[in-house]
Amino acid sequence: MKSKLVLAIVALGGVVLFSSCQKVPQAEIDAATAAIQEVKDAGADQYVPEVYQALVDSMKAANEKVEAAKQKWFPSYTKAKATLAYVSQAAVDAKAKTEARKVELKNETTQLIGEVKALVEENKGLLAKAPRGKEGREALEAIKSDLAVAETTVTEVETALANGDLLGSNSKIKAAKEKATSIKTELEEAIAKKGKK
Amino acid sequence: MGLNKKKFKWISIILLSFVFIVITVCVIIVSQKKLPNDDLKNAREALSEAKEAEADVYSETKYKQALRIYESAMTGWSRENERFILVRDYSGIISSALKAKKIADDAKEESIEKSAALSKNVESAFVSLEKKIDLYNKLFKNLPIPKSVFDAHNKSKMLFSESKIAQQNGKLKEADILFKKAEIYTNHANNSAAKMLRDYFTDYSKWRALANDAIAASRGGGKVILVDKVAHILYIYQSGKILRSYDVEFGPNWMAHKERAGDRATPEGNYHIVNKKAGGGTTYYKAMLLDYPNSEDRAEFARKKQQGLISRRTGIGNLIEIHGNGGRGFDWTSGCIGMRDRDIDDLYRLVGSGTRVTIVGSVEPLATVTQGLDF
Repeated sequence: MKSKLVLAIVALGGVVLFSSCQKVPQAEIDAATAAIQEVKDAGADQYVPEVYQALVDSMKAANEKVEAAKQKWFPSYTKAKATLAYVSQAAVDAKAKTEARKVELKNETTQLIGEVKALVEENKGLLAKAPRGKEGREALEAIKSDLAVAETTVTEVETALANGDLLGSNSKIKAAKEKATSIKTELEEAIAKKGKK
Repeated sequence: MGLNKKKFKWISIILLSFVFIVITVCVIIVSQKKLPNDDLKNAREALSEAKEAEADVYSETKYKQALRIYESAMTGWSRENERFILVRDYSGIISSALKAKKIADDAKEESIEKSAALSKNVESAFVSLEKKIDLYNKLFKNLPIPKSVFDAHNKSKMLFSESKIAQQNGKLKEADILFKKAEIYTNHANNSAAKMLRDYFTDYSKWRALANDAIAASRGGGKVILVDKVAHILYIYQSGKILRSYDVEFGPNWMAHKERAGDRATPEGNYHIVNKKAGGGTTYYKAMLLDYPNSEDRAEFARKKQQGLISRRTGIGNLIEIHGNGGRGFDWTSGCIGMRDRDIDDLYRLVGSGTRVTIVGSVEPLATVTQGLDF
């Protein structure tokens, strides 16, 4: 009877021991890793770098929690699993943010292209009204050339945008707008001076 | 039987005690081992802070080294965890984690220093480039600059704008790269234009002598026309003084001495009005034909032709006039001197055939033309 009791205790101990030895949450790790890769492929590291970096840091923390659990007599991956679940969810959010940023950039660039085109046309109209005297001679040819550069940039930006270079095309069109605006100011000032004479 | 029971009891007690002692010793051994958890966490946080300080951009080598060490420590930790619990050794991992943290901290510090220095450099470089672009606009903008130089200047302005946008967005390294490209184009444009201007002014002493001679000739009371190409001004001198001055326009290649037909350059030297045209005599409202080419032009043309510098089929050109239809705001003629109609009316009335017309590159020296600006 006693020996049966001892056996029962040992068996119970064994069950407790083995039930405490959880398996490494490999499926969750793989899922989180794949989710991060997907987010990176979507361009999160370029379009929402802070969000992407936070995600990478969380994944590192999750890996640390996995290893911290593994080093124990009776590993428990509950905390690691929670972090991995958070990473997977955060990756979904990061992807959504990336796509939203892309749309935002694309819309902004498209709007700026329209604005620059309108400015170029406006400047062409102002060129016709610009003074033709000595002061005009100094400026007109250069302004025409500047306008040509702005027009070329618009074409370059449209190509870059079509090729998916959202960041490059955005900064280029901003520079083109700055140029077109400065030309407009220059022309308006010259015309105003002419009016005063 | 009673003995056996007693024996079994004792054996059980001894065995259980042994197991208890072994487990206790194992727990003590394991609990005495220093674990790498905190050190790796600290290393990761240091790396994160370094990244936030853009160490991956400004202290790339150190940051990458720290990251590599951290990742290798993580791999080592995982490997060590696969071993039997009592023989695991985390000392190497801890030391790697500490090293990774230290390097990440260094990278962060270096990054902050470098980005601050770069920010300062970029700002002062922006000021310097802005000055160069201003210089171009002041000195070279109205010169007949070759298209490649003009394009380089425009390209530089575009890149400069992009660089400024990158700087505003805190992307200093990108701003620096764009700025350096802009600087290359600016330097090319400014240096080419400056060389062109300096080369042109090598004839200045000759121009000055021609201008002095023309002014001296007017002292007799007759009218003399002096044309300053750089200033784009036509003066009428009488008795050594300026009687009138008018804005004029030339051909697109005005910054050269005319030497052949079709070069759209305006000749430099002493000429005379040989014919006055009005009404149906000219398509340019009113015109005064000059006696280009003069004897010097012919001699120079012959010399260059002989040297093979001018094609045998090319002529020296003619029909250089002072005419109307000007005031267009740019250099548009084929080498003639274009004036506003109201100005040519005035000139037409004031001067007659035989009037001396001296055309020079510039009456003023280069230093005056460039307003003393250092280029």
